[in-house]
Amino acid sequence: MSVGQVAFTAPSGDAALLRRMSTIRLEGLGRRFGAAVAVDDVWLDVADGEFLVLLGPSGCGKSTLLRMIAGLLEPSAGRILLDGADITALPPQHRNLAMVFQSYALYPHLSVSRNIGFPLRARRRSKPEITAKVGEVAALLGLTDLLDRKPRQLSGGQRQRVALGRALVRDPGAFLMDEPLSNLDAALRATTRAELVELHRRLNATVVYVTHDQVEAMTMASRIVLLNEGRVEQAGPPGEVYDAPATVFAARFLGSPAMNLVDAAVTRDGRAHGPGIDLPLGLPDEAAFPERPVTLGVRPERLSIVPEDGAGLRGVVTAVENLGGEEVAHCLVGSSQVAVRGPRPLGARPGDRIGLTAAPAHLHLFDPVSGRRLTWQPAATTAPKE
Amino acid sequence: MIGTFVEAVPSLPPRRAEAAARPRAVVRLARAAPPYLYLAPGLVLLVVWTYWPLAQTFFLSFHSWNLVPSTPMTQVGTDNYERLLTTSALGSSTVRTFQVIAGLLPFTLLIPLGVGLLTRGRGTVHRGLVFAPMLVAPVAGATVWMFLLDPDAGLVNTVLGTDVNWLNGTGTALWAIVLITGWHLAGFAVLVVAAGLAGIDPEYTAAARVDGATSSQITRWITLPLLSPTLWFLVLMTVLLGAQWTFPLIDTLTQGGPAGSSTTVYYLLWEYGFRSNDAGLAAAAGVLFFAGFMLVAVPLARLADRAAVREEGP
Ligand SMILES: Nc1ncnc2c1ncn2[C@@H]1O[C@H](COP(=O)(O)OP(=O)(O)OP(=O)(O)O)[C@@H](O)[C@H]1O
Ligand SMILES: [Mg+2]
Repeated sequence: MSVGQVAFTAPSGDAALLRRMSTIRLEGLGRRFGAAVAVDDVWLDVADGEFLVLLGPSGCGKSTLLRMIAGLLEPSAGRILLDGADITALPPQHRNLAMVFQSYALYPHLSVSRNIGFPLRARRRSKPEITAKVGEVAALLGLTDLLDRKPRQLSGGQRQRVALGRALVRDPGAFLMDEPLSNLDAALRATTRAELVELHRRLNATVVYVTHDQVEAMTMASRIVLLNEGRVEQAGPPGEVYDAPATVFAARFLGSPAMNLVDAAVTRDGRAHGPGIDLPLGLPDEAAFPERPVTLGVRPERLSIVPEDGAGLRGVVTAVENLGGEEVAHCLVGSSQVAVRGPRPLGARPGDRIGLTAAPAHLHLFDPVSGRRLTWQPAATTAPKE
Repeated sequence: MIGTFVEAVPSLPPRRAEAAARPRAVVRLARAAPPYLYLAPGLVLLVVWTYWPLAQTFFLSFHSWNLVPSTPMTQVGTDNYERLLTTSALGSSTVRTFQVIAGLLPFTLLIPLGVGLLTRGRGTVHRGLVFAPMLVAPVAGATVWMFLLDPDAGLVNTVLGTDVNWLNGTGTALWAIVLITGWHLAGFAVLVVAAGLAGIDPEYTAAARVDGATSSQITRWITLPLLSPTLWFLVLMTVLLGAQWTFPLIDTLTQGGPAGSSTTVYYLLWEYGFRSNDAGLAAAAGVLFFAGFMLVAVPLARLADRAAVREEGP
């Protein structure tokens, strides 16, 4: 944001003190459309001032969940609490939440200033108050010169700002945003992302932000909630979700290229074995480990190229991608594809035989059937637990 | 030895002006023709059925002729117009025409708008029921209404407990016609409004609800403005065509009577032409009415156009 200090909350006084607290709690929230389950038993606490990102692939129920919080969709199960009060049956008008729609939903027949001022007009605020407030928000978002235009006379980025302005103009309990950046080009998306983070830091407001873009989630979230087919797959800070994915789905969803996942088996000596694979897992010394099949995961950037003799993974390079600053080498290890990412040049060419290794700390083990993360629990009974 | 910097990428050769070879005239013609050929059938029909009769009417209005092909037309100058303007029939039938239009507007605009807003998002079954009258042929409908409005045994009088002679009273005949026409048209207008409402993106309403607007605010500030092109269309349809739709009913039920009290301009034209066999007079009345109608319709169409452009979505 280019403009400096603008108080967003109460017109006078210390914004931080007057700002309302707002926490959102979802208790077993569910929604079905006919036989199809869009959202299934979601339990979630959104803390005051948190930037919560709902992340997941297309069709996983993100918008449905957000619309239920906004009151636009009736849940078929569960409760929604705002600051501890049950708002499940409250119509959206009385929830005092602001929403930025994926399509922006700017009123096409109203000028930019009327669009931004709409929530105040609906609350029967006085004309001068509306004008002042709209001017303030427009200055903050760099829309001052566009106030008399109609939405159709704006570019995509400008429309996005107007939609944001309409949410900012009042002091809502929380902001709900449904993929607000998905209509912008890559460069604009990057700058707007930074602006939104800055805005959140300044307002310290509660935000629930929906996206399917992992970069947005990683860079903006104070907490990521990963959804899969209507269920919460994992919730936690971005670093945690990235470094310790709870499931194979989470491991695949974050990271580019995605985490390498190969079938292997843990043997009695505490190593992972498989076709072309023989890696130490860095487990504490034990007499013998229980043998079991696992899915072994390792991020492409955590693999390093080593001489083939005695390497943990041995394979053949099938293709090399040039990303400019970095290179990605795709290799065939046993019958699995494994990608290696590193600074350019990697020194691998298609057809080369290659040896790879990774520190034990960067290896992830998952149950091949349930897909859930496995950790080693050194207890009296030495059985690996999920 | 001292080197020199050279541009690593050779600069682009200068653009050469393209020598546009002009195709031969025949080729150009063949290329330009298709759009006009596609338009031709429509244009021919328009000329044959609209512009040519219009020109003929204008020509006829300066002649006297009794519609018998063997009788020659005689040129009478502006006689027909003078006769029209000195009698009161044209004036009073014009007033009645506008009364009909005003009387139809509730049926083609207000009632459909109310029904549309109330049944928004409901199923199609009862919309189908509302639309059903449109499918009844006007003459068939008229016959049924004749029974219903019968002064002695009619259902309307029975239900209301009155003994009004609806179709034969000078004060009620025109309004009975308006009511029956309105009954015919309302279903169609409801469908048009429903289609207009369905065309409004529900996201606007959703956004307005989250923004805290009440449902009456949403109707006034969002729905009605976005629906205005549709409403203008209905107003235009009613003004331009409404009085014409009453014609079959007038012809079946009242024949313009009693005492001319249900004679609209359209019925007057028909009477002059085919009752009195005075083609010249009918043509002159038609020309005058056409000119007067343009004065009303053109500004209205302009207004509607501007509204449509203003409300157009992004
Ligand atoms: N009105 C509806 N009727 C029937 N099914 C619906 C409806 N709305 C959503 N669904 C279904 O619910 C599921 C979740 O939809 P939702 O819109 O929440 O997905 P999403 O995560 O927002 O996806 P995207 O990233 O593509 O926006 C989808 O399978 C969708 O087909
Ligand atoms: Mg969505």
